[in-house]
Amino acid sequence: MAATTELNFFQVKKGLFSWIFSVDHKRVGLLYLYSIMAFFLVGVILGVLMRLELLNPGKDLMEAKTYNQVFTMHGVIMIFLFIIPSIPAVFGNFFLPIMLGTDDVAFPKLNLLSWWIYVVGALMALSTLLFGDGPADTGWTFYAPYSVRTGTNVTMSVLAAFVLGFANILTGLNFIVTIHRLRTPGMTFFKMPLFAWALYATSWIQLLATPIIGITLLMIVAERVLGVGLFDPSIGGDPILYQHLFWIYSHPAVYIMALPAFGIISELLPTFTHRTIFGYKAIAFSSLAIAFVGYFVWGHHMFTTGMSGAARIVFSIMTFLVAIPTAIKVFNWVATLYKGSIDVQPPLLYALGFIFQFMIGGLSGLVLGALASDVHLHDTYFVVGHFHYVMFGGTGFAFFGALHYWYPKIWGRMYNKTIANIAFVIFFIGFNTLYFPMLISGLMGMPRRYYDYLPEFHLPNMISTYGSWILATGLVLMLGNLIAGFFGPKPEIGRNYWGGITLEWQTLSPPPLQNFDKMPEIPKGGPYDFENNY
Amino acid sequence: MKNNTESHDESAHGTHITSNKEHYSTLAALLLLTVLTVSISVFGANLRSLTVATAMLIATVKVIVVAYYFMHLKFEKKIYTWLVLLVIVLFLSFLILTSIEYLNR
Repeated sequence: MAATTELNFFQVKKGLFSWIFSVDHKRVGLLYLYSIMAFFLVGVILGVLMRLELLNPGKDLMEAKTYNQVFTMHGVIMIFLFIIPSIPAVFGNFFLPIMLGTDDVAFPKLNLLSWWIYVVGALMALSTLLFGDGPADTGWTFYAPYSVRTGTNVTMSVLAAFVLGFANILTGLNFIVTIHRLRTPGMTFFKMPLFAWALYATSWIQLLATPIIGITLLMIVAERVLGVGLFDPSIGGDPILYQHLFWIYSHPAVYIMALPAFGIISELLPTFTHRTIFGYKAIAFSSLAIAFVGYFVWGHHMFTTGMSGAARIVFSIMTFLVAIPTAIKVFNWVATLYKGSIDVQPPLLYALGFIFQFMIGGLSGLVLGALASDVHLHDTYFVVGHFHYVMFGGTGFAFFGALHYWYPKIWGRMYNKTIANIAFVIFFIGFNTLYFPMLISGLMGMPRRYYDYLPEFHLPNMISTYGSWILATGLVLMLGNLIAGFFGPKPEIGRNYWGGITLEWQTLSPPPLQNFDKMPEIPKGGPYDFENNY
Repeated sequence: MKNNTESHDESAHGTHITSNKEHYSTLAALLLLTVLTVSISVFGANLRSLTVATAMLIATVKVIVVAYYFMHLKFEKKIYTWLVLLVIVLFLSFLILTSIEYLNR
């Protein structure tokens, strides 16, 4: 334990190099935050451009090929540069060691290396804008054989995704070792906050599944560069094999994106209901169950590829099994709210928004997991609506909820809560106006990834585009409010702004370099024992 | 602060010294298995459809030997053996599920 220090981690060292070469987990977390937010905004701009193009049938803004490239870049940026790293790399890095009562992650240098790898991978992805035929036009899934044949910069794009995978693996490895080896005395597994449990389950997926996508993407490169017949049927390959390999990773990756968000919600609800979380162990084990079962359901992305009927039935049944641990979480969250002393603050609004939208996303997922209905809805806007409800309405809202929750702890400052509430309402309305019509147009049969559409799909598309403007307004207001908090008067934040009882609320705001100025005390009744701590 | 659980684990973990004999025996076993793989392939033992399965079987034995001796799984706590087995189960599941699809297509 380091000696008590007056300096917080911002004040210990100054200057650009003290940040980009820092091995302090808090600084690495913030480096990730700033980089991820920058790429997120690029992704948002691309998304708004897509919606503008789809405002009316026919050409509005760009050519068909450009549209294909825009939705591919939007997908690549949002998946690989925003959602996958978002919560673990930012809030996991910053808060996991503090929540466990230790002073850093197990491998601080690897942690910094992971950020550098992330930056290199991101620059590789963006470099596709600058040479040749421009960015890939394949969609973020890089489906073969088109990805083998197109003249756009697929090779660089998949190499970028390959490199970004290493950043994920290093983060996962770091978290697993940190959780196993660096918990403070008395912090048993069942006294860990549920955010730590969620990160633990996520890390195993990052560690075990990411290498599969790495090898698969290298196989695409081998096929493009060397003409090896792996996936292209014209040279003896099997395109369905590509989809197997791709989704063996990419479906578990959905849980890399979702599980940390579940962890965030499990932190927010007890703090703002002032009561012990309902079903702590059930939530903890359901994270592991989701991570495990999630490995065996990838085939539901491939029901219409021509794969065998037997496999389709097996994968459909397996998919329904994932709904069980997920529903366990949702029921426990709702039970936590029941008879709680609810304090409506901006982070709680995001948590409630998460539950509402994730329910829509999850239940529409069951429609797609059912073999019979998926055959009709596959590759329609219903799928686009579904995964935006899960990924953005779920993980995105949890990310912003976490940002509002830990803002006073990270920066020792506070945003305007009234504006935060207004921004949330606009954001929430914009989100649902944008994505709910997609579920309807999908049910009507509108195919995804099409540049143009029939007149009968005009109304839902028009409403979606208006929704994108409302969403963007809410986002600008929310981020503007958070940024304004840095420059406004500095209020007295104290150690425990929201009244939480996990360990990060026992230290200073912002925390000192060694995280704690005094030995943290572990609540005897577990991390959410509000009954005995208030 | 971090050292408490760590030092506890270290003491439980203990130290070990592997003899040269064990190292060289492992190396010899791996070389022998490699020779066997090449022999089957080059000199064409008439295994027909079992050729690939035989090569995979020998490779699996080699993986186990490397993990057990060279990567020190033999000296680790049981939990690490279970974790490795979990990974193997996952890998086999991928193979089996994909094979179900391919063979019934």
